[in-house]
Amino acid sequence: MIKVENVTKIYKVGQTAVHALRGVTLNIEEGEFLSIAGPSGSGKTTLLNLIGCLDKASSGEIYISEEAVSSKNKKELALLRRQRLGFVFQSFNLIPVLSAYENVSFALSLLGINGTQIRERTYGILEEVGLKGLEKRLPGELSGGQQQRVAVARALIKEPDMVLADEPTANLDSDTGREILDLMVALNQKHGTTFVFSTHDRMVMDYAHRLILLHDGQVTADERRA
Amino acid sequence: MRFLISLAWKNLSRYRRRTMITAGALAVGLVFFIFMDGWLQGAERESERNIIWYESGSAKVTTVEYLEDLKSMPLKHAIDDPAAVEGVLEGTGVTSTRRTVFAGEIFHGEGSLYAKVIALDPGTDENIYKLSETVTQGRYLQPGDQGVLLGDWLAQDLGVEVGEEIIIRTRTRFGAFQTLDLIVTGVLNSPNPVINKGTAFIPLSLADEALEMDGAVTELTLYFPEWQNPEDKIRIIEDRLSSIPGITVQSWKDLAQDFLMIAQAKSAGSSILLVLVFIIAAVGISNTMLMAVYERVREIGMMRAMGMKDGAIRATFLFEAGGIGLLGAAIGVGLGVIVNWLMVTRGINMMALMGRMDIGYRVTGIFYGAWHPQAIVGGFVFGVIAAMLFSIIPSSRALKMEITDCLRYE
Repeated sequence: MIKVENVTKIYKVGQTAVHALRGVTLNIEEGEFLSIAGPSGSGKTTLLNLIGCLDKASSGEIYISEEAVSSKNKKELALLRRQRLGFVFQSFNLIPVLSAYENVSFALSLLGINGTQIRERTYGILEEVGLKGLEKRLPGELSGGQQQRVAVARALIKEPDMVLADEPTANLDSDTGREILDLMVALNQKHGTTFVFSTHDRMVMDYAHRLILLHDGQVTADERRA
Repeated sequence: MRFLISLAWKNLSRYRRRTMITAGALAVGLVFFIFMDGWLQGAERESERNIIWYESGSAKVTTVEYLEDLKSMPLKHAIDDPAAVEGVLEGTGVTSTRRTVFAGEIFHGEGSLYAKVIALDPGTDENIYKLSETVTQGRYLQPGDQGVLLGDWLAQDLGVEVGEEIIIRTRTRFGAFQTLDLIVTGVLNSPNPVINKGTAFIPLSLADEALEMDGAVTELTLYFPEWQNPEDKIRIIEDRLSSIPGITVQSWKDLAQDFLMIAQAKSAGSSILLVLVFIIAAVGISNTMLMAVYERVREIGMMRAMGMKDGAIRATFLFEAGGIGLLGAAIGVGLGVIVNWLMVTRGINMMALMGRMDIGYRVTGIFYGAWHPQAIVGGFVFGVIAAMLFSIIPSSRALKMEITDCLRYE
């Protein structure tokens, strides 16, 4: 599904070139529940951003369903993200003036889906992530865990091929973090959606069915678990 | 689209105070613009009426030589046979009256002042001019009077009152010195300051004899109802007058060039006010939108990550700015209309504020405003559009950032 081939990413910080990724190669199969782990500065977020088409590689190539990402222009990349990718961010990134319902349905309205379908699917996914009855609440009226559930619902409602989660539990306490991971595992099993998340949290790594370890921008381990 | 409008509206409500301050600044600019524009329009229309009713009628017929030397009012270039002129104008729908206008030095006590002296026919002058309605002391002129009617300010400056005597020193048609001993029969206070400050009126018969005019007059004042657009009528009159050599006609617009130039300059001033409103909108809205954009950089990053088009994100800010513009313009126009209504119905007493200061308009006392719907609608539309235009730069700036930078933005 995703093929990362000898990808490098170099940032310029002033006059200095920072090598965030140094020739990363890996394949991600459909339905995987995969964690990219490593210490701060290892290149996890950079790799996630490249897979999510939010950034461009300095060299190498990424293929999504055998289509080279580098050949796509800005509009095509936006369309690809809109239709096939879901994102969960560390700090939730919900729109503070919109209710939980509106934050989730927003993802569908971008796809031009009509009103009745939006309503049904939004109520359905919010129930699935355990937020039934809280649909009208604004993000500020929800706990951190509830906000991240809204973010997960927003990522999943459009039934993407893959959800990319950048340190999804970093801003949550361990119990709430576990709840979110349980939810993601359940959704992965139910919908078959591929989950790729970055973390440096041991507990999160334990949930992954496959763990890719990064160090100084290079893959140092790729473990599959039962 | 509905989603974008709803998001913009919610964001406006989220920063209610900031929205109100920005909209308020725009509103103040618009109120000021509507007030000034209505005031200038009112002053302009009233001035035009006061020029017609007190100063020049709709047009004046003079000799070409008199017109060329109008400032020195030379009696030697008078119309010798005014009856002939009146004859050719018959059937044109024009009312006329004879006048002789000359310069004189008016003496009273130990002081003197130079003034314009207008000799008028009390019998026909009232068909065109409304001077008789503005007499505040004494009475209006009557045929055969050995009297003079003075403008209020002139009477005050001379220190003369009704019933007292003045002397006018001037020259006859043939250049000989002549003095006229006259009793002040009345003082008038017209709405036209030009009349009040330096004009004296005497009966035409008196001037005819004293100035050796022998039936000649310096001008025939004309009135016709189409005075607001006099061009066609003037062409007809010119055509008729072509049979009398050396005679010409000038519309009030030609004669009141000084006023028209001032009115034009003040109308340019009104455009400058609109530019000021534009600058208020520019600074206020740009600043507000800049703050809104920078507070929401991560939000913008998230929307872009989710595949929202740049155009749609820009549209959200455009709608937000449009909302501020709409609010500001609605408040501004609402308050502006109330202020203008007060100006139209009650006006401002400029005499109380400025005394006799001449600001170019032919209006004294209370200045009334006028309704100018084009300016009100134009100001509203302009406010909204300007507000929307000034949101483009800040939102474009945020959209130039990389998505990953937006998501990291603190």
